[in-house]
Amino acid sequence: MSAAAQSVRINSQELARQIGENPVSFLDATYDSGFVIDDEERHAAQLAAARQRFEALRPRLPALTKLAVDQGIESIGGFEDLAALLFPHTVYKSYPFSFIEQGRFDRLTRWFSSLTTVSLAAIDTNGIATIDDWIAVLERDTSLAPIHTFGTSGKLSFLPRTREQVRITVTLNARCVRDFDGAYAGPDLLVDHRPLIAPSYRRGASAIARGMNLMAELYGGGTALFLYPEALFSADVLSLAGRLRAAETRGEAGRLELPAALQARRQEFAQREANRPQDLDRFFTEAASRFAGREVFLFAVWPILFEWADEGLKRGLKGIFGPNSILTSGGGSKGRPLPPDHRERIAEFLGFTRTLEFFGMSELMANAPRCQLGNYHFPPVVIPFVLDGDTGQMLPREGLQTGRLALMDLLPDSYWGGLVTGDQVTLGGFGTPCDCGRRGPYVHPEISRYSDLKNGDDKINCAGAPEAHDRAIEFLLDRSGA
Amino acid sequence: MSFKVPLIVRGQVIESDLVEYGGRREAARFRAPALASHLAALVLEAPSRMADLYQISFDEIVAFLGKLGERLDPDRNTYLQEAFELSRLTSGLSEPILRHHYRQIPGYFEPRVVRELAERLIGRAYLEGWVEQPAAPQDISRLRIRAFGARAVHVIAGNVPVVGATTVIRNAVTRSDAIVKTPSNDPLTTAAIVRTMVDVAADHPLTRHVSVAYWKGGDPEIEEYLYDPRRIEKIIAWGGFAGIQSVKRYLQPGLDLITLDPKHSSSLIGREAFESGSTLQSVARRLALDIGGLNQEGCVNARVIYVESGTDAAGIERADQLGALTFAALQSLPDFLSTPHKAFDRELKAELDALSLLEDEYRVFGGRRNEGAVIVSRSSQPVDFARQLACRVGNLVPVDSLETAVRSVNAYTQTIGIYPESLKESLRDRLALHGAQRLVSLGAATLHQHPGPQDGIEPLRRMVKWITEETFDGRRLDETVAGRHEV
Repeated sequence: MSAAAQSVRINSQELARQIGENPVSFLDATYDSGFVIDDEERHAAQLAAARQRFEALRPRLPALTKLAVDQGIESIGGFEDLAALLFPHTVYKSYPFSFIEQGRFDRLTRWFSSLTTVSLAAIDTNGIATIDDWIAVLERDTSLAPIHTFGTSGKLSFLPRTREQVRITVTLNARCVRDFDGAYAGPDLLVDHRPLIAPSYRRGASAIARGMNLMAELYGGGTALFLYPEALFSADVLSLAGRLRAAETRGEAGRLELPAALQARRQEFAQREANRPQDLDRFFTEAASRFAGREVFLFAVWPILFEWADEGLKRGLKGIFGPNSILTSGGGSKGRPLPPDHRERIAEFLGFTRTLEFFGMSELMANAPRCQLGNYHFPPVVIPFVLDGDTGQMLPREGLQTGRLALMDLLPDSYWGGLVTGDQVTLGGFGTPCDCGRRGPYVHPEISRYSDLKNGDDKINCAGAPEAHDRAIEFLLDRSGA
Repeated sequence: MSFKVPLIVRGQVIESDLVEYGGRREAARFRAPALASHLAALVLEAPSRMADLYQISFDEIVAFLGKLGERLDPDRNTYLQEAFELSRLTSGLSEPILRHHYRQIPGYFEPRVVRELAERLIGRAYLEGWVEQPAAPQDISRLRIRAFGARAVHVIAGNVPVVGATTVIRNAVTRSDAIVKTPSNDPLTTAAIVRTMVDVAADHPLTRHVSVAYWKGGDPEIEEYLYDPRRIEKIIAWGGFAGIQSVKRYLQPGLDLITLDPKHSSSLIGREAFESGSTLQSVARRLALDIGGLNQEGCVNARVIYVESGTDAAGIERADQLGALTFAALQSLPDFLSTPHKAFDRELKAELDALSLLEDEYRVFGGRRNEGAVIVSRSSQPVDFARQLACRVGNLVPVDSLETAVRSVNAYTQTIGIYPESLKESLRDRLALHGAQRLVSLGAATLHQHPGPQDGIEPLRRMVKWITEETFDGRRLDETVAGRHEV
């Protein structure tokens, strides 16, 4: 398949059959055709694909072998069997933090290798002192383009995604932009390039940074404007919060010693903090001078967008980009309160309103776009489940169900795509399609984190420990006297 | 049906104008009166109205509490029965443990127990009158001290029912005025106790100086009004970081915050545990009690356990033996002390499941469903989720010497269960310096809690106001004014 090839319109039975055989073939169809498949065909195709992934991966992924043995599942009969084979979301951060503290990247590599079929045997971890270095070596010597999460708890998850898989994700997003409101109703960004505008980092191994870097190439044809075009979005800095937290719980024994490699980079961090206002100036100036009135492609989460728009409006900038530009966003407000008119103000600043919103997560290759009714629709290459919030049992696949969201991503073939999330959702679309007309399961707009629900319930216990705060950069600068 | 939680304001029981509150689970929701319109009655604007508490003697206080205790038999007290029913849904304790704890409530009110508590934690004489302080013969002044009650809001924890009972008793013996803010995980037990007080004597000064209310913690409409030094003098806040954060913004001179912080507890097990098979058996049973008692819902429960087994292959093997025996002992604890957890924490389960990928780093005994687990680390590092350990899950950490363990103790360490006794004596000073607050024989962390300083801070002594009365010879003062003496 070539990225720019014309997608084929085929009937839904044929599409279902193809997905069952090879989920990645969904890229060859128009994206909207994923939402006309009827339940029975979709279920059969999804189970067929899941069986194929399970058969192929089980003998090669120790983590999956173990889970299957523990659950006593030899083969996938139905969705219940599959639901029992989903990884807890902690799997990708189950390595002991001491591996990182003590620089045991050999052991971290061994742990990581139990989660992917990509061989990491040739990796030489001698001399690796930081997570950023480790990721760079994996990227240099294997087909992996590892992704790390933001790790709000300070401990980062690592996902063994391949370069090819990152490309599939970016391609699928372009298909979605083009076809979500009907085949070819939108522009094909892979053909009809738009400059990419991103108020964020270009370099880094977060899912967003990896995606954007490739989007700059594939959607922007190389033309892009990043807020930080050079600086690295560092996994080590993100994980500092985790170090602080771990240190605090260990009393004097945990007194924090920063690795020399991080100490050495303190100047870089200090410089970046100091340059922030100039970076922002440059970003605004270039946005106005190079891209004013042009049709662009913009990607950012809401709080960052609002911060940017708010700053822009303060500078008297309004309606910068062309009216047919496209914004993709998602991720809610990340717990930050935004004013009720934030979307209007963002639109006022940007000069366009065309927005495609997604519900997704780093762990997932295919995100769920939001329809005009506010519901998030999973394409047929992802199987969503709802589990009982307390027992973890699969809830019936019928009617509306509220509980813990779990997902089987059928796209990856080198790691297991089954995962139980930390989100509480209401899932509909079994039997009765969404009023927007799309078939298949969808997530209602109200989504909450189980951890937030637990914190807000006014239960008071005497058992617990203090929460550490995410003050990694400040700590680093403070320690280094910058 | 949803439970009705009364508002009790100074002897008056209010059950109207109900608003729904409570957990995500339908069954655990409850209704309580909207508090805003009762705020003026809830507070004691004029502190002089505490004078009635000084018309009664300490013996009368003890007798009244004794009489109240007799009425708190959960087999007969319908208010407590209702509180028990709701707690069955909201509490992390399972039914037999809860029943055991409700049965213990009357015991706290027994005259002998109340007297011992008052005597040990403050001193009856200071509660009853002005106590002359020792003075040298040449002293020309005399100092007398008395402990006076204060107006306080108690934000209490709900993980064990005893917290409410203790709060009522502490308030009474200190002749204080309490507004008890109950938590959503136990909104009824304290209300049941105080409602019984109303039945015993609605007009009694002790009844008229305790109120019980539920509001959603952090509600600014309520808290801005209450947390004001004109209306209260002290806030006694149990538990969570979130709760303290919300109280913090109201602090100002005149308002004293006493925090009973969230804590974690641990154990230290010396090499002597491995001296014989029968010793190891006994250590495992005692450790199981410290982990599993109260279903590990308490701050007193052991979570991370440092074991001086050594960290070479033989040492790890020894730690594994202790792990296996402890897990087995955990499974056979009597059900009034400990049971499989009825709502095993899903996040913790996910962490346990993920450990199966790390067989070189950890060995897990149990942890398949809700039965609890003992994790044995393969290195001298606790699991990364040590702070989340709950629902009868302990982490044994083998060490070559207990030095690492001592240095891991910090200000959030409450109880440390220690084996053997000689180790406790040799380490007690150092453990205290590092932050530990209660050192106890292994196995006794949850069971035998004497009245004593809590979390190293003597909260009872901080709940009262220590007032001095000083007498100076007038003639000497005249002479000082005249310049005939140096002061």
